[in-house]
Amino acid sequence: MNIALPVKKTDIRRAQSRIRDFLSNPANIILLVTVSVLGFFTLYPLVLLVADTVKVNIADLMYPELIGKKVGDVTDFHWKRMLFSEMSGIYFRTPLRNAVVMSLLASVISIIYGGTVAFLITRTDMKGKKFISSVFIFPYIMPSWTIATFWKNFFQNPDIGSYQGGLLYWLTGIKVPEAMVYGLVPCAIVLGLHYAPFAYILIGGILRNMDANLEEAATILKASRAKIIGKITLPIVLPALLSTFLLVFSSSMSAYAVPQFLGGAGGFNVLTTTLKQFITNGWYGQGYIMAIFMIVFGLAILGINQMVTGSRRSFTTVTGKSGQVSYIKLGVWKYIVAAVLFILCIFCSFMPLVSFALESCTFIPGDYSRLTLAFWIDRGYPVENGLHGLFFENQVWSAFRNSLVLSASCAIFAGTVGMLIGYAVARKRGTKLAKAADNIAFLPYLMPSMAMGAAFLAIGAKMGLSKTMALLIIVGSIKYLPFASRSGINAMLQLSGEIEEAAIIVNVKWWKRMLKIIFPIQKSTFISGYLLPFTSCMRELSLFTLLSSGSIYLMTTLLEYWQVWCDQSANALNLLIVITVLAVNLLVNKLTGASIDKGVGG
Amino acid sequence: MKKYSAILLIAAITVFCFTGCTKNAKTAEVKETVTEETIFSAGEKMTEAELLEKAKGESGDFIVYGNTSRIASAVQGFVQKYGSQLGLSDSNAVGTKMNDADIYTTLLQEYMGSSAKGASLVMIQDGAQLQTYRSGTDILVNFVPASMKGVVAENDLVPLVHQYINKLFIWNNIGTSGQVISNVWQLTEPQWKNKVFFKNPTTEQVNMNFLVMCTSDAWASKLADAYKEYFGKDISLGSYKNAGYKWVAEFIANCNFSISSDTTICKEMAKPDSKGCTGLFVLSKFRDVDAKIKGNLSVGAWQEKAIKPFAGFMYPMYVQLTSKANRPYTAMLFTDYLMNSEGFLPWGKDIGAYSTNPNVPVNEKDGDKPITFWKECLVAEDADFIRVNKTAVTDFVNEQIAKK
Repeated sequence: MNIALPVKKTDIRRAQSRIRDFLSNPANIILLVTVSVLGFFTLYPLVLLVADTVKVNIADLMYPELIGKKVGDVTDFHWKRMLFSEMSGIYFRTPLRNAVVMSLLASVISIIYGGTVAFLITRTDMKGKKFISSVFIFPYIMPSWTIATFWKNFFQNPDIGSYQGGLLYWLTGIKVPEAMVYGLVPCAIVLGLHYAPFAYILIGGILRNMDANLEEAATILKASRAKIIGKITLPIVLPALLSTFLLVFSSSMSAYAVPQFLGGAGGFNVLTTTLKQFITNGWYGQGYIMAIFMIVFGLAILGINQMVTGSRRSFTTVTGKSGQVSYIKLGVWKYIVAAVLFILCIFCSFMPLVSFALESCTFIPGDYSRLTLAFWIDRGYPVENGLHGLFFENQVWSAFRNSLVLSASCAIFAGTVGMLIGYAVARKRGTKLAKAADNIAFLPYLMPSMAMGAAFLAIGAKMGLSKTMALLIIVGSIKYLPFASRSGINAMLQLSGEIEEAAIIVNVKWWKRMLKIIFPIQKSTFISGYLLPFTSCMRELSLFTLLSSGSIYLMTTLLEYWQVWCDQSANALNLLIVITVLAVNLLVNKLTGASIDKGVGG
Repeated sequence: MKKYSAILLIAAITVFCFTGCTKNAKTAEVKETVTEETIFSAGEKMTEAELLEKAKGESGDFIVYGNTSRIASAVQGFVQKYGSQLGLSDSNAVGTKMNDADIYTTLLQEYMGSSAKGASLVMIQDGAQLQTYRSGTDILVNFVPASMKGVVAENDLVPLVHQYINKLFIWNNIGTSGQVISNVWQLTEPQWKNKVFFKNPTTEQVNMNFLVMCTSDAWASKLADAYKEYFGKDISLGSYKNAGYKWVAEFIANCNFSISSDTTICKEMAKPDSKGCTGLFVLSKFRDVDAKIKGNLSVGAWQEKAIKPFAGFMYPMYVQLTSKANRPYTAMLFTDYLMNSEGFLPWGKDIGAYSTNPNVPVNEKDGDKPITFWKECLVAEDADFIRVNKTAVTDFVNEQIAKK
């Protein structure tokens, strides 16, 4: 016993020393805090979600099968009903099939459209690149449901749906087929257009930095253009393609407003619309099974992505600057292609704004023959609905202030934490802790906003934060942290460790190294990491609806409220949201050089 | 791998701790509720002046949720009348429009939490769900002001019904002469395919409740009679359980769910482009239609010949206090206010809303009728029947929608 004691002491000392060493590195502390705090805030909602699917909730007592059960009792009823009952075809398999097909189509559309534009801008001498490049990301900045609104306003055929002619019909008399206005195809196109900037940013990032020597060498060896693309270009952009697929597919699976809005006369059921139906009835157990499947799909694609690329960070990797950039000469096509893209960009980026502006000026929605500015500038009430013109409506400015405070706070919080995670993950690259932090920081992206909002309602109640701006800031920051952490990791991976090491040698403190060296060098990419959460928060609805109700009006919750009973005011508000987001992005870009594409794509 | 396991373990422990805390909290709340319930029962014996006096002693925010957009105006009116005495203003007295599901989700969390920002009063539509929450939880308290005892009908007292709202068959009358619909079986005919606008019942609970009621024996029997009257032969049920199920199936087949708001349905229905369309939506939405095209709409129930066997349906809007109300006496005073003419004004100034207080007159402009008229020609909710049959009929309705 006496002999063993000194050995134990040595072990303890060694362990203490190891812990001291471990904790003396700021990167380790950041990773540890990230894994524990973020782990709680991401895993806890997941646990709540799963728990609800195996217990009896109060409204479930309406089911005859659950008679005699008590609230909180464990049951397999929800899973059996969803997966194995005669109703599972209607409630689960069909919505799942629709959601998967819609998301696949949206991914393909965004990859083809965004990838083509990225290729044309980075690898060809096409004209008008600057304009197209900056306008192309507008649809991502706009909420997806605003594009859906525009789609319906524009293509509506007077023989179908609500039997009102849209802008296209009004201008040309053309009647678009029903399948182009409602259902799977328009839903996939709208989502594809909304997320095409992802493809543009991610694929463009790789193409921009790809060494042209590779392609030129192949050309000298007389390889055909198709062969060059197939054997050189595509393998290089493969990680970006997969990453785009991951992001677009997961986002489309969680999309609610678009399929709800473009469902048409018979409705178009996907997992989110069925989830909403169950939640509306208080049948959370069955509803959350949909949410779990959405998360499982996201995780599966994330897994495939990691398997193929070897590491998920590849999806935003920028592989060093190219020594040479030589553009493919398009000849006369450089004008034609530019003209086509110009028209497409105008259609996707500016027409929605024109449509909202027009709708906000109509006396009768959809009737453009009589226009008025009353819904903007009337100090009184343009119609008898208790709403002043937008500029004189107090609710608007209060919601505007709240949305700005919330979005700016989330941006600061998520952006800073994301930057720190980026720093820590890059410095401890390859360690299990770094991988764990990286994965946990990405998890909130896969959580459906609706379910996350409900989970944080419970967390807020337990923490005494119900109905507070603080809770909204916490949930918004966590939900959009993946954007900021991606941006942070991007920035740090581009930065050689030697720069910081030089500072360490001369004993520069960690916070000083961050503030004086690292941040200034990668300023624009880091600031882009702040812009993404800001943009997303400004247009988020599902996440905040439950958490803000009764206490804090946001622009989007106000819009949801107004949409039900005053189209013109709602359209004006919609326009105000989009213009605010665009203006902030433009301002930050002009002041700092940062932009959303740098945040995601590097 | 070990680190992942450790993380999961930490998370699981934390979750366990939280769950444990919740259980303790719940136990404590039950006791507190018992105390507060005595406040509510005492309040039922108080006059308006006494409630006001008690409410003056309360402080903090006064939050109200309601499944009606007019709740905000009602709270504003209340603040105008009592605000200076109760320390209420537009900043600390807020009425928010929320749907029933969001109200319940929020109330349950507020009940377990300790925030002073919780609701003191709610206005809820779905009677069957309300019954479930009233019997299964302690989150809601029924309160009948002393001034309403003996005034409001006995069966509207528990839970207290504030008003009835009706959804009626209303059609675009351009190019028509006379009554377009006189029997609901007309709406199952092929010419009405996708021309009957109705908010999707899977997202609008009162619409689903109406369909559930149609399958009841009483309404199925009336529908069978109406079928015979319209088609001149006895109904052949085939695989349907009764005439109600048959009508629901064939009605849904012709429904158009492309518009998700009654206001929008009403506005669109009034446009010349909607010639030949009809809808089943809230009558009060007439208020939002541009005056120039309002004349394009005809209300089925106001035609010479009654629509067989019903001209639409009606549903109640309930008022309930929350058991952990931040300002219980203010909430009781507000209930008293809501039940009288002044508090009913946000709804009563238009058509389509009917107070359960018979002393509050019906707005008879544009031809609206008293509640007694509507009770005769509309399908009314029976919360007990709906509660028992809702899940089965919801499945049935979803099956029919899937066939569209």
